[in-house]
Amino acid sequence: MPVVNSYTELKEAREQRMGAVSMNHIKLNLLHDELIAKAVHLALDTVRSERGNPPAPFAFFLMGSAGRFEQSVWSDQDHGIIFAGNDDSKSYFLRVGAEITNALAVAGYEPCDGKVMASNPLWCKSVADWQLQVADWLEEASWQSLRHFSTFFDSRVLVGEKGYLKELKQTSFSILQDNPDLYIRLIDNVDFLKKGVGIFGQLLPEQQGEQSGTIQLKQKAFFPYVNALRLLALKNKIFAPSTLSRFRQLTNDYQAIKSVESDFIELLDYRLKFRKNAQTYEEVHLIPMQSLNKEAKQELKQLMKKGYKLFSDVKSIIEKECSK
Amino acid sequence: MDPIFLMNNVWIALCGVLVFLMLGGFILLEAGSTRMKNAGHIAGKTVFTVGIASLVFWAVGWGFVYGSEGSLIGFGDFFFGDATTMGEGLAGSTDFFFQMAFACIAMTIAFGGFAERAKLSVYVIFAVLFSALVYPVVAHWIWGGGWLAGHGKQDFAGSTVVHLTGAMAALAATIILKPRIGKYNKDGSTNDIAGHNQVFTALGVLILWIGWFGFNAGSTLEVADAFFGYVALNTQLAAGAGAIGAMLIVWAMTGKADVPTTLNGALAGLVAITASCAFVEPWAAVVIGFIGGLIVFLSMKFFDKAKIDDPIFALSVHGTVGIWGTLSNGLFATPELASVGRPGLFYGGGFEQLGVQIMGVVTSGLYAFAVAFVLLKIMEKVMGGLRVTEEEEIVGLDLSEHGGYGYPENLPQPANKTGATGA
Repeated sequence: MPVVNSYTELKEAREQRMGAVSMNHIKLNLLHDELIAKAVHLALDTVRSERGNPPAPFAFFLMGSAGRFEQSVWSDQDHGIIFAGNDDSKSYFLRVGAEITNALAVAGYEPCDGKVMASNPLWCKSVADWQLQVADWLEEASWQSLRHFSTFFDSRVLVGEKGYLKELKQTSFSILQDNPDLYIRLIDNVDFLKKGVGIFGQLLPEQQGEQSGTIQLKQKAFFPYVNALRLLALKNKIFAPSTLSRFRQLTNDYQAIKSVESDFIELLDYRLKFRKNAQTYEEVHLIPMQSLNKEAKQELKQLMKKGYKLFSDVKSIIEKECSK
Repeated sequence: MDPIFLMNNVWIALCGVLVFLMLGGFILLEAGSTRMKNAGHIAGKTVFTVGIASLVFWAVGWGFVYGSEGSLIGFGDFFFGDATTMGEGLAGSTDFFFQMAFACIAMTIAFGGFAERAKLSVYVIFAVLFSALVYPVVAHWIWGGGWLAGHGKQDFAGSTVVHLTGAMAALAATIILKPRIGKYNKDGSTNDIAGHNQVFTALGVLILWIGWFGFNAGSTLEVADAFFGYVALNTQLAAGAGAIGAMLIVWAMTGKADVPTTLNGALAGLVAITASCAFVEPWAAVVIGFIGGLIVFLSMKFFDKAKIDDPIFALSVHGTVGIWGTLSNGLFATPELASVGRPGLFYGGGFEQLGVQIMGVVTSGLYAFAVAFVLLKIMEKVMGGLRVTEEEEIVGLDLSEHGGYGYPENLPQPANKTGATGA
């Protein structure tokens, strides 16, 4: 990257370089990683100049589509911080979180509606507090706490110590292994899906409002794949957050599931093909029906149907394994 | 006195009460299907316009329907006051009471097209004009011995006379009034202005459904052969099939089992069977109601796309389905049951009855639309517009037209009254 010294320069760098990678899923996500890491370092510099060096080692980690290495050209922010030591350092790292949020917002990453950001005390904790938090989420096992847990689990460290997050995932796996009922709760948590294909095999676009006539790609096409592979990752102790890596790390016992990987790759390409010119984060997930020709519609329907089948297969597999 | 005569009158008076109860159904249906800020207004205007319609129907409406027999309009018997009782059929006053309730229903349907934006004064004036000049003419043509009756037009309980007439006036009104603020976006897409209480809407539908037994089964006008039971059976089957048809099609087409559409489906089944309930077999009632349920969904979509704002779906439920119900006679009327006109296409009657039904729908619909349109246009000129101001519409008609509020606890407190504050 050319030398970037401010958040606005980061925004400009993004604008200059996005076009060249917008059709390549891996290059696109590498660029996002680079930009976000740069934003984190710039934000750290700012806080360092105010308050001095970080009081403890830490890890800045990504969640959501960034965590899964599945961002489109536009993406919102989902991130957290894990720091060593005790709560004395918390105010320093919350300040870092706030500065990162600000830096990323300037650079073109919308702040997260659900406040899943390191500026929020819920997502910025010491290692010990994180251990308690993860255990709490799984013990409470409510709709909200499991949603938080699932969000947390699709994560990877971008800047800092990688070990902390691994420890936390290890803790999660042990808790789940001791309480297999939780797998079923986690299925229930994501079982409600917005249907994208009707009984006549037709696509179901939004009916009302300014989004009418568009297809919600995120909920209707991506979520079934993403949720299915997260469930399998939890069951099979796979640390990797990306859906593709999860496919690849499944053992050969899951041959049928592994064969769906190519469909997910197709879906990633599909989104880039049809939404590379999206102007906002909102638009990335909405495909206008009129922009699709007959083949494109057919392809999308097939991808959706395969996603629904995948989710339903994974559900049966896990339910069966848990009832053993 | 002849016990059959007495039973006729008891039955029809009871049915008149049931039809009148349908107005309670409309109050809940309309209030539930619209926003909180207009709820008191919508409920209240239904009651006082029914008052107006009753007086007007007594003064001139009845006379125009059932006065001396003319081909285009009846004349005479104004200010109805016949206290005599005859030895057979219905006492005049029982008949009057029953017919008056129908006139009130037709007017209330028409007001569906005015919802959430017409001035209160518009309701007052149009209640008078509709009850005197629109409804009685169509009723005379078909039920009062007018020219369509002469052709054998079948409309047992009023798919055309009541529902289509009301809906065509609603269409004229909604075209002149234009869509509610916020219904359509600049890019041409449509917003769903959801009603504020689906439970009210559902209860409204159920009350209408119950009242419909008076509407249809009472239209036998007598108890002879207990035929009203058969009519009630057909009515029930069509309503059920309508709800199922609408639920199935909305689910199949949009992936969602939409509640308002399902409720409209039950009403569509009822509207559809209204014309034919005495002339068709039960299996046909199921088909007629089911198709009514399918049509109401397609019609709702159509009006949405056509940028015609139909706040409580009166155009689709009473208009489009009213037409279907009327035409269904021409297909399904059986030779044994067709006490008026001829059997339908599927019973060897050929296209003759279907032709009569089409002619009836077209002429009645055109008359109701054209007269209502002209009357409303004149009113618009004279009254300086039919619609409340933008500010009044946003603040809600409860406050702007009545100075009160249907839900007083939601009334904005003076302290935080900063401009327009709708519900």
